[in-house]
Amino acid sequence: MLPDAACRTGAVIRHNTMLLLREPGPLASRLIMPLAFIALLHPLYQAAEGHAAGASQAVIATLVTFSLLALSIVGGSILVERVWHTWERVRQTPLRPAELLTGKAVPVLVALLAQQALIVGFGVAVLGMGVAGPALLALAVLAWSLTLLSLGAAIGVLARSFSELSVIYDIGGMLLSSLGGALVPLSALPGWVRHVAPASPGYWAVSALKAALSGNGPGTLRASAVLAGFALACGLVAAARVGRGAARSASL
Amino acid sequence: MGACQAEPAESSAYRPAEGGPDSGGVAGASVPAGQRAMKRAMNVNPLPWGVAQIHFDHGGTDREPMLAARGLVKRYGDRRALDGFDLSVVPGEIVGLVGHNGAGKTTFVEVVTGLIRPDAGQVCVGGVDVRREPRAARRLLGVAPQELALYVSATVRDNLRLFAALAGLRGAARHRAVDRVAEELQLTGVLGQLTGLLSGGQRRRTQAAAALVADVPLLLLDEPTAGADPQTRAALLEAVRARAARGAAVLYTTHYLPELADLGATLAVARRGRIIARGTQAALTKGLPGELRLRLATAPSLPDLPAALAGRSRVVDGELRIASAEPPADLAALLAAGCAPVSVDVRRPDLDDLYRSLAVEAPDAA
Repeated sequence: MLPDAACRTGAVIRHNTMLLLREPGPLASRLIMPLAFIALLHPLYQAAEGHAAGASQAVIATLVTFSLLALSIVGGSILVERVWHTWERVRQTPLRPAELLTGKAVPVLVALLAQQALIVGFGVAVLGMGVAGPALLALAVLAWSLTLLSLGAAIGVLARSFSELSVIYDIGGMLLSSLGGALVPLSALPGWVRHVAPASPGYWAVSALKAALSGNGPGTLRASAVLAGFALACGLVAAARVGRGAARSASL
Repeated sequence: MGACQAEPAESSAYRPAEGGPDSGGVAGASVPAGQRAMKRAMNVNPLPWGVAQIHFDHGGTDREPMLAARGLVKRYGDRRALDGFDLSVVPGEIVGLVGHNGAGKTTFVEVVTGLIRPDAGQVCVGGVDVRREPRAARRLLGVAPQELALYVSATVRDNLRLFAALAGLRGAARHRAVDRVAEELQLTGVLGQLTGLLSGGQRRRTQAAAALVADVPLLLLDEPTAGADPQTRAALLEAVRARAARGAAVLYTTHYLPELADLGATLAVARRGRIIARGTQAALTKGLPGELRLRLATAPSLPDLPAALAGRSRVVDGELRIASAEPPADLAALLAAGCAPVSVDVRRPDLDDLYRSLAVEAPDAA
């Protein structure tokens, strides 16, 4: 028989998967919109950088930009519990904060991985993008997805309302993807952007993905390690907030 | 702060619904009660202001408390939400925790569930110190918070299944527990409906069902019938009575004394973060004045009333209201004085009367 902790975590995962699928609109748009974006804009990237490099840049730009926007799914799934007061309610059960966060994270992680697999698959199948290191690419995508999860969870427990959450995602997401060199290559951006870019997790996502696509193992590992650091820091913030009971009710 | 004493399981009077692993009872929930010494100590409760009457009465029972709180203090800045809060509830007992808004009722419930940590004092659930082992204590709890806390985009069944699973129920036992509590609270017909589409009363019942779905030895029900219709109220009260009859200890906060009378609950009156009186409703309201309410054929005039009544009388919306511990005698005096009532209503003492009689504040206590 499974230990109690595994049963509780499994129950929360099942419940959150059901909640995610019951309102599939945000999830579907996060899966479909990137494909429309990449289909429309890849000629622009290929015209600027050539066929192979343009395809890679189009895929990376889409992947990072839209996965940042998918943060809203992570944070929203946490904030909505605070609005419904269910966050406090489940914390009055034997559930541990780590079990609760894991139960929230797993369905969203699967959704994020599905989104990124779709984009990469589109790049390979339609744009003819080459992947020199498939295992490295999987590592980079996983590291980036975990970073997004933790970042989303931290924002979800810190935001006080949906409007605040919306502002953070709209402005923060676009800033992170722009500063990181996802939408436009850093070489084409002003010098000061290149100096501040490493502060953005988007920069390290772009670095990890570019290195993985070109088969650069050390580069992929280094950038993935930095992403793991971001993930750990944000995860600790979220867990500390939940553990201290600081993330209580929120407003619409 | 001392640890709660763990005593042998046979001291517990708690009995799960049907017995056996499939009964809906939570594994390990038949936990021993706490400390005798704590309970004895809790019968002393010095107050900073004048109090007309205090009862600390557990009906003569020697059972160990399933919930035992002593000297709880919780501060928010300069405000003390709990200020030496003492309370115990024994298995099978329903304690109605009453008090004005801000008296500390909900804060106390949140301390018991471990949602907030007290600044001082101790609270034990089934002998388990909540501060030291909050998760072990939570295994013994069924909680219905004051605010609705349901997944509105999930069905009633999904909500109940989640809370049953988190309480430790698995597989077929979980399904049976959900079906049983749904039937008990008249939710069977809406199990497949989204909670967000339910009526207010149905949501209240779902919230209570989530607390009752596992047979736990301590129930914390924070105003579970607030805004509920009579059908909802009756179903909830019946379910609570049934749990208490099976040995569960119940802490029930409310503003409605008649509800507590229906439950056969003893009262604990909270004021400014502490319990100022404890006992049966009959004992606490004995001798308190109710109110005579009369509509007269002519407009009431206080100067025309007998002197013995005038000081206790007021006119509200054309109605003469007289604070009265002996309504028949006062009514006779009125009739003898020539008053001609067209209607007479006798109101029994309520919570406000109780508060007024119990808490006569000293000027510096405010």
